Amino acid sequence: MKRHQSVFKDESKLDINFVPNRLPHREKEHRLLMEFFSFLLKYPDRMAQRVLVTGEIGTGKTALCQRFGAEMTLEAHKRSVNLHYIHVNCREYRGKLFLILQHALTVLKPTFPQRGYGAEEVLKALLQNLDEENAYVILALDEFDSIIEAEGSDAVYNLTRMQEMRQNKPQRMSILGIMRDLESTKRLDDSARSTLQRNIIRLERYGKPQLVDILNERVTLAFEPYTVPEDVVSLTADLAQDESGNARFGIELLWRAGKYADAEDKEKVQPEDVRKSISSIIPSLSRTELDDLGLHEKLFLLGTAEVFLESGEAYVTLSEIEKIYAVACEEFDEKPVSHTQLWKYVQTLSVRGFLKTEVSGEGSRGRSTLVYLPSISAEELAKALRALLARQER
Amino acid sequence: MELEEVFSSKPRMKILKLVSKLGELNVSEFARRLGLNFTTTSRHLQVLEGEGILQQRTYGRIRMYRFNQASPKAKVVQELIEVWEEASKK
Repeated sequence: MKRHQSVFKDESKLDINFVPNRLPHREKEHRLLMEFFSFLLKYPDRMAQRVLVTGEIGTGKTALCQRFGAEMTLEAHKRSVNLHYIHVNCREYRGKLFLILQHALTVLKPTFPQRGYGAEEVLKALLQNLDEENAYVILALDEFDSIIEAEGSDAVYNLTRMQEMRQNKPQRMSILGIMRDLESTKRLDDSARSTLQRNIIRLERYGKPQLVDILNERVTLAFEPYTVPEDVVSLTADLAQDESGNARFGIELLWRAGKYADAEDKEKVQPEDVRKSISSIIPSLSRTELDDLGLHEKLFLLGTAEVFLESGEAYVTLSEIEKIYAVACEEFDEKPVSHTQLWKYVQTLSVRGFLKTEVSGEGSRGRSTLVYLPSISAEELAKALRALLARQER
Repeated sequence: MELEEVFSSKPRMKILKLVSKLGELNVSEFARRLGLNFTTTSRHLQVLEGEGILQQRTYGRIRMYRFNQASPKAKVVQELIEVWEEASKK
Protein backbone atom coordinates (compact mmCIF):
# COMPACT_ATOMS: atom_id res chain seq x y z
CA MET A 1 0.00 0.00 0.00
CA LYS A 2 1.39 3.38 -0.98
CA ARG A 3 1.65 5.66 1.98
CA HIS A 4 1.58 9.44 1.94
CA GLN A 5 4.50 11.27 3.40
CA SER A 6 4.02 12.32 7.00
CA VAL A 7 2.67 15.82 7.59
CA PHE A 8 5.44 16.24 10.16
CA LYS A 9 8.85 17.58 9.35
CA ASP A 10 10.13 17.35 12.93
CA GLU A 11 7.54 16.48 15.54
CA SER A 12 10.03 16.91 18.40
CA LYS A 13 9.43 20.65 17.94
CA LEU A 14 5.98 20.06 19.44
CA ASP A 15 7.36 18.23 22.45
CA ILE A 16 6.68 19.69 25.87
CA ASN A 17 10.42 19.92 26.56
CA PHE A 18 11.29 21.77 23.38
CA VAL A 19 12.26 25.39 23.99
CA PRO A 20 12.02 27.51 20.83
CA ASN A 21 14.58 30.20 20.08
CA ARG A 22 11.87 32.78 19.82
CA LEU A 23 8.96 33.14 22.20
CA PRO A 24 6.28 35.20 20.48
CA HIS A 25 4.51 37.69 22.76
CA ARG A 26 6.89 37.16 25.65
CA GLU A 27 9.63 39.50 24.44
CA LYS A 28 8.87 42.13 27.07
CA GLU A 29 8.95 39.66 29.96
CA HIS A 30 12.13 38.11 28.59
CA ARG A 31 13.84 41.49 28.50
CA LEU A 32 12.70 42.22 32.04
CA LEU A 33 14.06 38.90 33.27
CA MET A 34 17.42 39.57 31.59
CA GLU A 35 17.39 43.01 33.18
CA PHE A 36 16.78 41.60 36.67
CA PHE A 37 19.80 39.33 36.34
CA SER A 38 22.07 41.58 34.28
CA PHE A 39 24.32 42.35 37.28
CA LEU A 40 25.32 38.65 37.27
CA LEU A 41 27.25 39.25 34.07
CA LYS A 42 29.12 42.28 35.38
CA TYR A 43 29.53 41.72 39.11
CA PRO A 44 28.51 38.11 39.69
CA ASP A 45 29.73 37.86 43.27
CA ARG A 46 28.18 41.02 44.65
CA MET A 47 24.57 40.08 44.93
CA ALA A 48 22.11 37.25 44.44
CA GLN A 49 18.74 37.78 42.84
CA ARG A 50 15.30 36.44 43.68
CA VAL A 51 12.58 36.65 41.07
CA LEU A 52 9.14 35.10 40.86
CA VAL A 53 7.49 34.31 37.53
CA THR A 54 3.75 33.70 37.76
CA GLY A 55 1.05 32.79 35.25
CA GLU A 56 -1.65 30.27 34.47
CA ILE A 57 -0.94 26.89 32.86
CA GLY A 58 0.26 27.26 29.29
CA THR A 59 1.24 30.92 29.55
CA GLY A 60 4.87 30.10 28.75
CA LYS A 61 6.45 30.34 32.23
CA THR A 62 8.72 27.32 31.84
CA ALA A 63 9.65 28.08 28.24
CA LEU A 64 10.42 31.70 29.13
CA CYS A 65 12.67 30.73 32.03
CA GLN A 66 14.48 28.02 30.07
CA ARG A 67 15.11 30.33 27.13
CA PHE A 68 16.33 32.98 29.57
CA GLY A 69 18.59 30.38 31.25
CA ALA A 70 20.13 29.29 27.94
CA GLU A 71 20.83 32.88 26.86
CA MET A 72 22.10 33.95 30.24
CA THR A 73 24.61 31.09 30.51
CA LEU A 74 25.79 31.68 26.95
CA GLU A 75 26.33 35.37 27.68
CA ALA A 76 28.07 34.55 30.96
CA HIS A 77 30.46 32.10 29.31
CA LYS A 78 31.37 34.73 26.71
CA ARG A 79 32.45 36.90 29.64
CA SER A 80 34.25 34.01 31.37
CA VAL A 81 31.72 33.89 34.21
CA ASN A 82 31.17 30.30 35.29
CA LEU A 83 27.36 30.44 35.49
CA HIS A 84 25.01 27.46 35.58
CA TYR A 85 21.26 27.55 35.07
CA ILE A 86 19.56 24.63 36.79
CA HIS A 87 15.85 24.08 36.20
CA VAL A 88 14.08 21.78 38.65
CA ASN A 89 10.43 20.80 38.65
CA CYS A 90 9.82 20.80 42.41
CA ARG A 91 6.67 18.71 42.21
CA GLU A 92 8.70 15.85 40.76
CA TYR A 93 10.58 15.89 44.07
CA ARG A 94 7.35 16.22 46.10
CA GLY A 95 8.42 19.73 47.11
CA LYS A 96 11.10 18.28 49.42
CA LEU A 97 13.86 20.82 49.62
CA PHE A 98 16.68 18.39 50.33
CA LEU A 99 15.77 16.33 47.24
CA ILE A 100 15.57 19.44 45.09
CA LEU A 101 18.91 20.75 46.31
CA GLN A 102 20.42 17.32 45.97
CA HIS A 103 19.34 17.25 42.34
CA ALA A 104 20.93 20.67 41.81
CA LEU A 105 24.13 19.49 43.44
CA THR A 106 24.18 16.34 41.32
CA VAL A 107 23.97 18.45 38.18
CA LEU A 108 27.15 20.22 39.25
CA LYS A 109 28.79 17.22 40.88
CA PRO A 110 27.36 14.02 39.40
CA THR A 111 29.10 11.66 41.85
CA PHE A 112 27.91 13.40 45.00
CA PRO A 113 26.28 10.79 47.27
CA GLN A 114 22.51 10.73 46.91
CA ARG A 115 21.11 10.10 50.34
CA GLY A 116 21.14 10.68 54.02
CA TYR A 117 21.67 14.42 54.27
CA GLY A 118 19.42 17.25 55.42
CA ALA A 119 18.47 20.24 53.29
CA GLU A 120 20.81 22.57 55.15
CA GLU A 121 23.74 20.22 54.75
CA VAL A 122 23.12 19.82 51.02
CA LEU A 123 22.74 23.57 50.61
CA LYS A 124 26.07 24.12 52.37
CA ALA A 125 27.73 21.51 50.17
CA LEU A 126 26.23 23.17 47.10
CA LEU A 127 27.57 26.58 48.08
CA GLN A 128 30.95 25.13 49.05
CA ASN A 129 31.18 23.47 45.67
CA LEU A 130 30.32 26.74 43.94
CA ASP A 131 33.02 28.49 45.99
CA GLU A 132 35.62 25.86 45.00
CA GLU A 133 34.75 26.09 41.33
CA ASN A 134 34.26 29.88 41.45
CA ALA A 135 30.86 29.21 39.91
CA TYR A 136 27.41 30.79 40.16
CA VAL A 137 24.03 29.25 39.79
CA ILE A 138 20.54 30.42 38.90
CA LEU A 139 18.30 27.84 40.49
CA ALA A 140 14.94 27.84 38.71
CA LEU A 141 12.36 26.23 40.95
CA ASP A 142 9.39 25.31 38.77
CA GLU A 143 6.12 24.67 40.63
CA PHE A 144 7.66 26.52 43.53
CA ASP A 145 4.36 26.34 45.43
CA SER A 146 4.99 22.65 46.07
CA ILE A 147 7.99 23.62 48.26
CA ILE A 148 5.80 26.00 50.23
CA GLU A 149 3.18 23.25 50.64
CA ALA A 150 5.70 20.62 51.69
CA GLU A 151 8.21 22.65 53.70
CA GLY A 152 6.58 25.90 54.81
CA SER A 153 8.14 29.19 55.83
CA ASP A 154 11.45 28.21 57.41
CA ALA A 155 12.73 26.29 54.42
CA VAL A 156 11.84 29.08 52.01
CA TYR A 157 13.40 31.66 54.31
CA ASN A 158 16.61 29.64 54.65
CA LEU A 159 16.79 29.05 50.94
CA THR A 160 16.49 32.71 50.12
CA ARG A 161 18.57 34.11 52.98
CA MET A 162 21.24 31.45 53.34
CA GLN A 163 23.82 33.44 51.46
CA GLU A 164 23.36 36.55 53.50
CA MET A 165 24.41 34.50 56.51
CA ARG A 166 27.73 33.64 54.81
CA GLN A 167 29.66 36.70 55.76
CA ASN A 168 32.42 38.05 53.50
CA LYS A 169 31.80 35.40 50.90
CA PRO A 170 30.67 35.89 47.32
CA GLN A 171 26.98 35.54 46.53
CA ARG A 172 26.70 32.33 44.57
CA MET A 173 23.08 31.37 44.14
CA SER A 174 20.12 33.23 42.67
CA ILE A 175 16.58 31.92 42.84
CA LEU A 176 13.98 32.01 40.11
CA GLY A 177 10.64 30.79 41.47
CA ILE A 178 7.98 29.72 38.97
CA MET A 179 4.37 29.32 40.07
CA ARG A 180 0.79 29.76 38.87
CA ASP A 181 -0.16 32.54 41.29
CA LEU A 182 0.89 34.07 44.59
CA GLU A 183 -1.89 32.37 46.55
CA SER A 184 0.41 29.86 48.23
CA THR A 185 2.84 32.57 49.36
CA LYS A 186 0.09 33.69 51.76
CA ARG A 187 1.01 30.67 53.83
CA LEU A 188 4.49 32.06 54.43
CA ASP A 189 5.29 34.29 57.34
CA ASP A 190 6.05 37.95 56.65
CA SER A 191 9.83 37.65 56.60
CA ALA A 192 9.87 34.73 54.16
CA ARG A 193 7.32 36.42 51.95
CA SER A 194 9.13 39.71 51.87
CA THR A 195 12.38 38.11 50.70
CA LEU A 196 10.52 36.51 47.82
CA GLN A 197 8.12 39.05 46.50
CA ARG A 198 10.39 41.88 45.47
CA ASN A 199 10.55 41.08 41.79
CA ILE A 200 7.53 39.50 40.20
CA ILE A 201 6.94 38.94 36.52
CA ARG A 202 3.34 38.10 35.76
CA LEU A 203 2.54 36.38 32.48
CA GLU A 204 -0.95 37.25 31.31
CA ARG A 205 -3.12 34.71 29.51
CA TYR A 206 -2.72 34.55 25.75
CA GLY A 207 -5.58 35.82 23.59
CA LYS A 208 -6.53 34.22 20.30
CA PRO A 209 -4.30 36.36 18.03
CA GLN A 210 -1.31 35.58 20.23
CA LEU A 211 -2.13 31.86 20.25
CA VAL A 212 -2.37 31.93 16.45
CA ASP A 213 1.14 33.45 16.27
CA ILE A 214 2.55 30.88 18.68
CA LEU A 215 0.94 27.98 16.84
CA ASN A 216 2.05 29.30 13.45
CA GLU A 217 5.61 29.51 14.71
CA ARG A 218 5.47 25.85 15.80
CA VAL A 219 3.76 24.78 12.59
CA THR A 220 6.69 26.21 10.62
CA LEU A 221 9.16 24.30 12.76
CA ALA A 222 7.31 21.01 13.08
CA PHE A 223 5.21 20.47 9.95
CA GLU A 224 5.96 20.14 6.26
CA PRO A 225 5.05 23.28 4.30
CA TYR A 226 1.37 23.71 3.41
CA THR A 227 0.19 20.73 5.48
CA VAL A 228 -1.53 22.80 8.17
CA PRO A 229 -4.12 25.19 6.71
CA GLU A 230 -4.94 28.51 8.33
CA ASP A 231 -8.36 27.41 9.56
CA VAL A 232 -6.81 24.46 11.40
CA VAL A 233 -4.50 26.83 13.26
CA SER A 234 -7.40 29.19 13.94
CA LEU A 235 -9.61 26.39 15.29
CA THR A 236 -6.78 25.07 17.47
CA ALA A 237 -6.19 28.59 18.80
CA ASP A 238 -9.90 28.91 19.62
CA LEU A 239 -9.86 25.63 21.51
CA ALA A 240 -6.68 26.60 23.36
CA GLN A 241 -8.25 29.90 24.27
CA ASP A 242 -11.25 28.04 25.67
CA GLU A 243 -8.74 26.20 27.86
CA SER A 244 -7.76 29.50 29.57
CA GLY A 245 -5.42 30.58 26.80
CA ASN A 246 -3.27 27.50 27.27
CA ALA A 247 -0.64 27.51 24.50
CA ARG A 248 0.79 24.15 25.55
CA PHE A 249 -2.65 22.61 25.17
CA GLY A 250 -2.87 24.05 21.65
CA ILE A 251 0.56 22.71 20.72
CA GLU A 252 -0.33 19.23 21.98
CA LEU A 253 -3.57 19.41 20.06
CA LEU A 254 -1.72 20.21 16.86
CA TRP A 255 0.62 17.29 17.40
CA ARG A 256 -2.26 14.89 17.97
CA ALA A 257 -4.19 16.26 14.98
CA GLY A 258 -1.08 15.63 12.87
CA LYS A 259 -1.06 12.04 14.12
CA TYR A 260 -4.72 11.58 13.14
CA ALA A 261 -3.96 13.02 9.68
CA ASP A 262 -0.97 10.68 9.26
CA ALA A 263 -2.98 7.67 10.42
CA GLU A 264 -5.44 8.31 7.59
CA ASP A 265 -2.73 9.07 5.03
CA LYS A 266 -3.94 12.62 4.55
CA GLU A 267 -1.80 15.18 2.79
CA LYS A 268 -3.01 17.93 5.11
CA VAL A 269 -4.28 18.24 8.66
CA GLN A 270 -8.00 18.92 8.61
CA PRO A 271 -10.33 20.56 11.16
CA GLU A 272 -11.89 17.16 11.88
CA ASP A 273 -8.44 15.89 12.94
CA VAL A 274 -8.31 18.69 15.49
CA ARG A 275 -11.80 17.86 16.73
CA LYS A 276 -10.94 14.17 16.97
CA SER A 277 -7.81 14.95 18.88
CA ILE A 278 -9.59 17.17 21.37
CA SER A 279 -12.30 14.61 22.01
CA SER A 280 -9.55 12.13 22.76
CA ILE A 281 -8.17 14.46 25.46
CA ILE A 282 -11.29 15.91 27.00
CA PRO A 283 -13.88 13.38 28.07
CA SER A 284 -16.11 14.14 25.14
CA LEU A 285 -19.78 13.97 24.71
CA SER A 286 -21.85 12.42 27.39
CA ARG A 287 -24.74 10.43 25.98
CA THR A 288 -26.99 11.47 28.86
CA GLU A 289 -26.37 15.13 28.17
CA LEU A 290 -27.18 14.58 24.51
CA ASP A 291 -30.27 12.62 25.42
CA ASP A 292 -31.47 15.54 27.54
CA LEU A 293 -31.68 17.74 24.46
CA GLY A 294 -35.05 18.36 22.80
CA LEU A 295 -35.86 16.73 19.47
CA HIS A 296 -35.13 19.80 17.35
CA GLU A 297 -32.02 20.63 19.32
CA LYS A 298 -30.80 17.15 18.43
CA LEU A 299 -31.74 17.63 14.78
CA PHE A 300 -30.04 21.01 14.72
CA LEU A 301 -26.88 19.56 16.27
CA LEU A 302 -27.01 16.69 13.78
CA GLY A 303 -27.26 19.25 10.97
CA THR A 304 -24.23 21.04 12.47
CA ALA A 305 -22.18 17.85 12.65
CA GLU A 306 -23.12 16.92 9.08
CA VAL A 307 -22.09 20.35 7.76
CA PHE A 308 -18.68 19.96 9.31
CA LEU A 309 -18.33 16.44 7.99
CA GLU A 310 -19.33 17.36 4.45
CA SER A 311 -17.49 20.64 4.14
CA GLY A 312 -14.30 19.74 6.00
CA GLU A 313 -14.33 23.30 7.35
CA ALA A 314 -13.32 24.47 10.79
CA TYR A 315 -16.05 27.12 11.02
CA VAL A 316 -19.50 27.31 9.45
CA THR A 317 -22.26 29.92 9.42
CA LEU A 318 -25.74 29.49 10.86
CA SER A 319 -27.32 29.62 7.41
CA GLU A 320 -25.11 26.74 6.24
CA ILE A 321 -26.25 24.69 9.24
CA GLU A 322 -29.86 25.68 8.66
CA LYS A 323 -29.88 24.09 5.20
CA ILE A 324 -28.57 20.75 6.43
CA TYR A 325 -30.84 20.94 9.49
CA ALA A 326 -33.79 21.12 7.05
CA VAL A 327 -32.50 17.95 5.36
CA ALA A 328 -32.23 16.23 8.73
CA CYS A 329 -35.83 17.27 9.54
CA GLU A 330 -36.96 15.76 6.26
CA GLU A 331 -35.13 12.53 7.03
CA PHE A 332 -36.81 12.22 10.41
CA ASP A 333 -40.15 13.48 9.15
CA GLU A 334 -40.25 16.68 11.20
CA LYS A 335 -41.25 20.22 10.30
CA PRO A 336 -38.26 22.60 10.70
CA VAL A 337 -38.54 25.30 13.36
CA SER A 338 -38.07 29.02 12.62
CA HIS A 339 -34.74 30.79 12.12
CA THR A 340 -35.24 32.72 15.38
CA GLN A 341 -35.73 29.46 17.25
CA LEU A 342 -32.56 28.05 15.69
CA TRP A 343 -30.66 31.10 16.84
CA LYS A 344 -31.86 30.35 20.38
CA TYR A 345 -30.62 26.75 19.97
CA VAL A 346 -27.18 28.09 19.05
CA GLN A 347 -27.11 29.98 22.30
CA THR A 348 -28.37 27.19 24.55
CA LEU A 349 -26.13 24.60 22.89
CA SER A 350 -23.22 26.96 23.28
CA VAL A 351 -23.92 27.38 27.01
CA ARG A 352 -24.05 23.59 27.37
CA GLY A 353 -20.70 23.29 25.59
CA PHE A 354 -21.80 21.36 22.49
CA LEU A 355 -20.79 24.13 20.15
CA LYS A 356 -19.14 27.52 20.30
CA THR A 357 -19.58 30.72 18.34
CA GLU A 358 -17.21 33.35 17.16
CA VAL A 359 -17.84 36.55 15.27
CA SER A 360 -15.90 36.48 12.01
CA GLY A 361 -13.61 39.33 10.98
CA GLU A 362 -14.50 41.54 8.02
CA GLY A 363 -14.16 39.26 5.02
CA SER A 364 -15.90 38.16 1.89
CA ARG A 365 -18.86 37.11 4.01
CA GLY A 366 -18.92 40.34 6.06
CA ARG A 367 -19.19 40.08 9.84
CA SER A 368 -21.20 37.03 10.71
CA THR A 369 -21.48 34.52 13.51
CA LEU A 370 -19.43 31.42 12.91
CA VAL A 371 -20.01 28.14 14.69
CA TYR A 372 -17.38 25.58 15.63
CA LEU A 373 -17.33 22.35 17.61
CA PRO A 374 -15.28 22.83 20.77
CA SER A 375 -14.51 19.35 21.98
CA ILE A 376 -16.30 16.83 19.83
CA SER A 377 -15.45 15.04 16.64
CA ALA A 378 -18.19 15.76 14.07
CA GLU A 379 -18.19 12.08 13.10
CA GLU A 380 -18.68 10.90 16.69
CA LEU A 381 -21.36 13.48 17.34
CA ALA A 382 -23.37 12.62 14.21
CA LYS A 383 -23.15 8.91 15.04
CA ALA A 384 -24.36 9.40 18.61
CA LEU A 385 -27.21 11.70 17.54
CA ARG A 386 -28.37 9.33 14.81
CA ALA A 387 -28.54 6.50 17.34
CA LEU A 388 -30.57 8.63 19.76
CA LEU A 389 -32.91 9.93 17.06
CA ALA A 390 -33.51 6.44 15.69
CA ARG A 391 -34.45 5.26 19.17
CA GLN A 392 -36.79 8.24 19.61
CA GLU A 393 -38.50 7.40 16.30
CA ARG A 394 -39.38 3.87 17.36
CA MET B 1 56.27 4.54 50.41
CA GLU B 2 58.16 2.86 47.57
CA LEU B 3 56.68 3.00 44.08
CA GLU B 4 56.22 -0.77 43.83
CA GLU B 5 54.45 -0.81 47.16
CA VAL B 6 51.93 1.87 46.17
CA PHE B 7 51.03 0.24 42.88
CA SER B 8 51.20 -3.41 43.90
CA SER B 9 47.77 -3.17 45.52
CA LYS B 10 44.84 -4.19 43.33
CA PRO B 11 42.27 -2.09 45.30
CA ARG B 12 44.48 1.01 45.01
CA MET B 13 44.80 0.54 41.26
CA LYS B 14 41.04 0.13 41.03
CA ILE B 15 40.56 3.30 43.07
CA LEU B 16 42.80 5.20 40.67
CA LYS B 17 40.89 3.84 37.67
CA LEU B 18 37.58 4.91 39.26
CA VAL B 19 38.85 8.42 39.95
CA SER B 20 40.14 8.65 36.41
CA LYS B 21 36.76 7.59 35.05
CA LEU B 22 34.38 9.43 37.39
CA GLY B 23 36.39 12.36 38.69
CA GLU B 24 35.36 12.32 42.32
CA LEU B 25 33.72 9.89 44.75
CA ASN B 26 32.97 9.59 48.44
CA VAL B 27 34.41 6.81 50.61
CA SER B 28 31.19 4.76 50.78
CA GLU B 29 30.85 4.80 47.02
CA PHE B 30 34.46 3.61 46.56
CA ALA B 31 33.78 0.84 49.08
CA ARG B 32 30.59 -0.21 47.30
CA ARG B 33 32.22 -0.32 43.88
CA LEU B 34 35.30 -2.16 45.15
CA GLY B 35 33.31 -4.60 47.24
CA LEU B 36 35.43 -3.79 50.29
CA ASN B 37 34.48 -2.53 53.73
CA PHE B 38 34.59 1.14 54.68
CA THR B 39 37.71 0.90 56.88
CA THR B 40 39.84 -0.96 54.34
CA THR B 41 38.76 1.42 51.56
CA SER B 42 39.48 4.42 53.74
CA ARG B 43 42.98 3.05 54.48
CA HIS B 44 43.78 2.66 50.77
CA LEU B 45 42.50 6.16 50.08
CA GLN B 46 44.68 7.53 52.86
CA VAL B 47 47.76 5.87 51.33
CA LEU B 48 47.04 7.51 47.97
CA GLU B 49 46.37 10.82 49.68
CA GLY B 50 49.59 10.48 51.67
CA GLU B 51 51.52 10.04 48.42
CA GLY B 52 49.94 13.26 47.14
CA ILE B 53 48.15 11.47 44.31
CA LEU B 54 44.66 12.06 45.63
CA GLN B 55 43.24 14.94 47.59
CA GLN B 56 40.33 14.93 49.94
CA ARG B 57 37.50 17.47 50.16
CA THR B 58 35.03 17.51 52.98
CA TYR B 59 31.42 18.60 52.57
CA GLY B 60 29.92 18.41 56.05
CA ARG B 61 29.98 14.71 56.86
CA ILE B 62 30.95 13.70 53.35
CA ARG B 63 34.53 13.07 52.31
CA MET B 64 35.20 13.01 48.61
CA TYR B 65 38.45 12.09 46.86
CA ARG B 66 39.78 13.30 43.53
CA PHE B 67 43.17 13.62 41.81
CA ASN B 68 45.38 16.23 43.40
CA GLN B 69 45.70 18.59 40.47
CA ALA B 70 48.76 20.28 41.99
CA SER B 71 50.73 17.03 42.15
CA PRO B 72 53.00 15.89 39.28
CA LYS B 73 52.56 12.29 40.47
CA ALA B 74 48.79 12.55 40.04
CA LYS B 75 49.22 13.95 36.56
CA VAL B 76 51.46 11.07 35.48
CA VAL B 77 49.18 8.44 37.00
CA GLN B 78 46.16 10.00 35.30
CA GLU B 79 47.98 9.97 31.95
CA LEU B 80 49.15 6.37 32.43
CA ILE B 81 45.58 5.19 33.04
CA GLU B 82 44.17 7.14 30.12
CA VAL B 83 46.80 5.86 27.68
CA TRP B 84 46.40 2.31 29.01
CA GLU B 85 42.61 2.35 28.70
CA GLU B 86 42.74 3.89 25.24
CA ALA B 87 45.28 1.31 24.00
CA SER B 88 43.21 -1.54 25.44
CA LYS B 89 40.19 -0.45 23.39
CA LYS B 90 42.08 -0.97 20.11
